[in-house]
Amino acid sequence: MISLPFWNPIICIIAFVILIAITCLFRSRGQKKYKEGTAQTDIFLSGEEPPAVEQRHIKAHNIYWGFFQTLKRYYDPTVRAHTGIINDYIIWFIALAALTAVILLIASLT
Amino acid sequence: MSFNSFKRALWAYHINTGSCNGCDIEILATLTPRYDVERFGIVLVGSPRHADVLLVTGPVARQMAPRVKRVYEQVPDPKMVIVVGSCGIEGGVFYESYNLVGPVDQIIPVDVYIPGCPPRPEAIIEGVAKAWVKLEQAEKQGVT
Repeated sequence: MISLPFWNPIICIIAFVILIAITCLFRSRGQKKYKEGTAQTDIFLSGEEPPAVEQRHIKAHNIYWGFFQTLKRYYDPTVRAHTGIINDYIIWFIALAALTAVILLIASLT
Repeated sequence: MSFNSFKRALWAYHINTGSCNGCDIEILATLTPRYDVERFGIVLVGSPRHADVLLVTGPVARQMAPRVKRVYEQVPDPKMVIVVGSCGIEGGVFYESYNLVGPVDQIIPVDVYIPGCPPRPEAIIEGVAKAWVKLEQAEKQGVT
């Protein structure tokens, strides 16, 4: 017979409250004289200027690192193609439209 | 020398601004069993944000000046600055070097000077005790 571990939610709540009380006690004993908005509340990076808050996060892009690494041969040329210049996109559009027209023309002749 | 208002351990942060490591080794010596400053409640900490006292060694190389300023600003008030060694006081053997912007009191305000090249651990302990007394007075006067 498998004996289940003891479980009582009331005890869990009491333990949680005790832990919160101990945490608050430790916190209340800490340094209270920090000046908000000065270097005293900045993170310590061996004297270096800390980066802006938005730069401190791990970017979501990092989650897909393995995915991008595996499909590098596909992504590298496509990323290069996305220059962000509207002229390039128009050229792509015209080139693909011309290619489609040629294919349709050949298909209609055969 | 009695400590009344400062009823906790004194936490010190050590920053090397370009010293030859002589003074740094002597600071470490104060922690060894022979001197054992921790029995007085003097502890070296890893962040200036936790420190009461800043121990500065070295003559302040050009690259270190903004870092020293920043570390000083990160120590909560009231704070004391102790310069350990002749280099930090007046340049020492590096005096008038092209690469220095020190001594330390040209960059940040200094409270206690401990001369020597390097100073003996006993001198460092006495300097820290003097800073502790000044810190006591600052606490009493409510300096922030």
